[in-house]
Amino acid sequence: MSVVVIGLSHRSAPVELRERFAFAGETIPVALQALRDSGIASEAAILSTCNRVEIYTVTSLAPEAAFAELKKFLVAHHAFEGSLNEELYTLAEPHSLHHLFKVAAGLDSMVIGETEIFGQLKQAYEIAFTHKHTGARLNKAFQRAFNVAKHIRTETNIQRGSVSVMSAAVELAEKIFSSLAEHEVLVIGAGETSEKTARALQSRGVKKITVTNRSPARAAALAAELGGRAVPFEQWPEEFERIDIAISSTAAPQHILDRAKLEPLMKRRKNRPLLLIDIAVPRDIDPAVNALENVYLYNVDDLQSIAAEYLKLRQEEVARCEKIIAEKVAALLEVNRFSTTDGPR
Amino acid sequence: MAWFTDRHCFLLAVTFYGLSTLYSVFLWRKGFRRDDWVNYCLLAGGVALHTLAMTKRGLSLHSCPVNNLYEATTFLLWALGLASLAYALLPRFKFICAFAAPLLFTVGIFALMPSLDPPHGPKPEFSGALRSLHAATILQAYGAFGLAAVAAMMFLVEQRDLKIHKLRALLSFLPSIQRLELITTRLVAVGFVLLTVGLVAGSALPRQGATAYFADTKVLWSALIWLVYLEALVAHKFFGRPARRFALGVVIAFVFLLLTFGVTNMLSPLHQENPPPTVRDGQITVALVPAALHPSFSPRA
Repeated sequence: MSVVVIGLSHRSAPVELRERFAFAGETIPVALQALRDSGIASEAAILSTCNRVEIYTVTSLAPEAAFAELKKFLVAHHAFEGSLNEELYTLAEPHSLHHLFKVAAGLDSMVIGETEIFGQLKQAYEIAFTHKHTGARLNKAFQRAFNVAKHIRTETNIQRGSVSVMSAAVELAEKIFSSLAEHEVLVIGAGETSEKTARALQSRGVKKITVTNRSPARAAALAAELGGRAVPFEQWPEEFERIDIAISSTAAPQHILDRAKLEPLMKRRKNRPLLLIDIAVPRDIDPAVNALENVYLYNVDDLQSIAAEYLKLRQEEVARCEKIIAEKVAALLEVNRFSTTDGPR
Repeated sequence: MAWFTDRHCFLLAVTFYGLSTLYSVFLWRKGFRRDDWVNYCLLAGGVALHTLAMTKRGLSLHSCPVNNLYEATTFLLWALGLASLAYALLPRFKFICAFAAPLLFTVGIFALMPSLDPPHGPKPEFSGALRSLHAATILQAYGAFGLAAVAAMMFLVEQRDLKIHKLRALLSFLPSIQRLELITTRLVAVGFVLLTVGLVAGSALPRQGATAYFADTKVLWSALIWLVYLEALVAHKFFGRPARRFALGVVIAFVFLLLTFGVTNMLSPLHQENPPPTVRDGQITVALVPAALHPSFSPRA
């Protein structure tokens, strides 16, 4: 009896194929039951996310035979008529356990170190466990995977830092201001990225948001969504006395804010720090304003390079994480520690 | 253990400050990314030995050990070290130790110069509540200004990193610049209040001699320091002086304070233990003011 895994992910298959093999949440218990009834697996769990579809099973079959049967099951279950070759990967012990631990720690994710997969894996395990499709072997493997993921999160820097433009903007704001709850945000231009950035700031405590847009209706709609207020586009400079963070993403062909315009506004603000996030292309804010005292200007390239640097740092941490995982897999596979009693209990 | 004097103890404390400085260089090069306790423990070791040194000196004098330049400097450093340890317990403030250690180490080395603490001299007459209040509050004020300079340095480093878009600004475990600005302002305010109390207490001290209070070099220097910090506070709080310029001013003011502290003591008749007699209107006047911060005085006599 051993743990084997078959699946396809963003690394091996395009999104068209991944969505073809995805399991809807409510169909997973049925699929698990069918899998066990077929005699391929004594224990099973299915992980189905936008980036991966994986079946973890405990089987008495030889790995090669098990892989062939699992492939047949997947194809039949999804009524797939095409051919599958390199898109599917198959792993037997110890590689299957190593893979499970990597997935839990976010090392196999599209954005290395992301935490969403941890919750998705936990949910997949909960479904299998609740419907009694797991036994001693899978229970121990999954629980150990969750522990290892937490251990890696605390012992390494794999999840440190912002790997998106939005989170980089939030992190910058937190490095400038003591508490985001006390600061007001002005969104200039109701674009998608500025909306996402404003939402990210809201999630970290920002309470007051003002939106302005050339189209007043769009400004009012976004303000209503964010729980803020809308102001006419011509009046946004007047808001500078009150706000501390401005996110700009208009489609203006030239700078809408330059040094000459900002200098008197800064005096009225009594030189309180001001974070300007310019995510428009072409840029909305003249880079020369960064030379002003208490002004911190970041454009989309700056934010993207922060995200890229963080990704690089995370990649440097992968080797450390892999070492931890190898040790934990070896520990799990020790005769007395990984139960040989199989089947759901 | 009679051979193990308070100066040996202080020498050990300075060694700890030196080790902490070395470790700070390592932390600096790593971009303040390791939020560990090593530097805190090194500094705490130094402050513990420093406390022992001051206690030994104080017990031998039966009074607060602030009677000569060595003692005044060590008292100032002790206040600064202790306050750094307390502030380091605040979230994200552990790296204040990395900024304070080089200051403690370099000024500690300066304080160890034998000429600041000569081996022989009369028994100090530096006693009385008012005199103790005068010396202790002023030295604590300098300690607060020192710590404000340390926080201001942290601010300047982080503010520059944010301005030039250096990733270190985000990777470091330093507090936000707004918080550092607030801490710097509060420390300057505390130091200013303590300095005011100290100067008022000093003006009330009994003195005999020709030197008028406001003609004394040290008093004038103290008044200048008082004005400098008052101007910095008022300009920043009420006239919107940018935080960077305020922080720079706080650092420069403290560097000036450190560099001129010893010299003004030596030039001050009011702070000399036995100033030369002066002649005015045909009368010889002898100052009987006790040795407050006189370099020729030593309690070990």
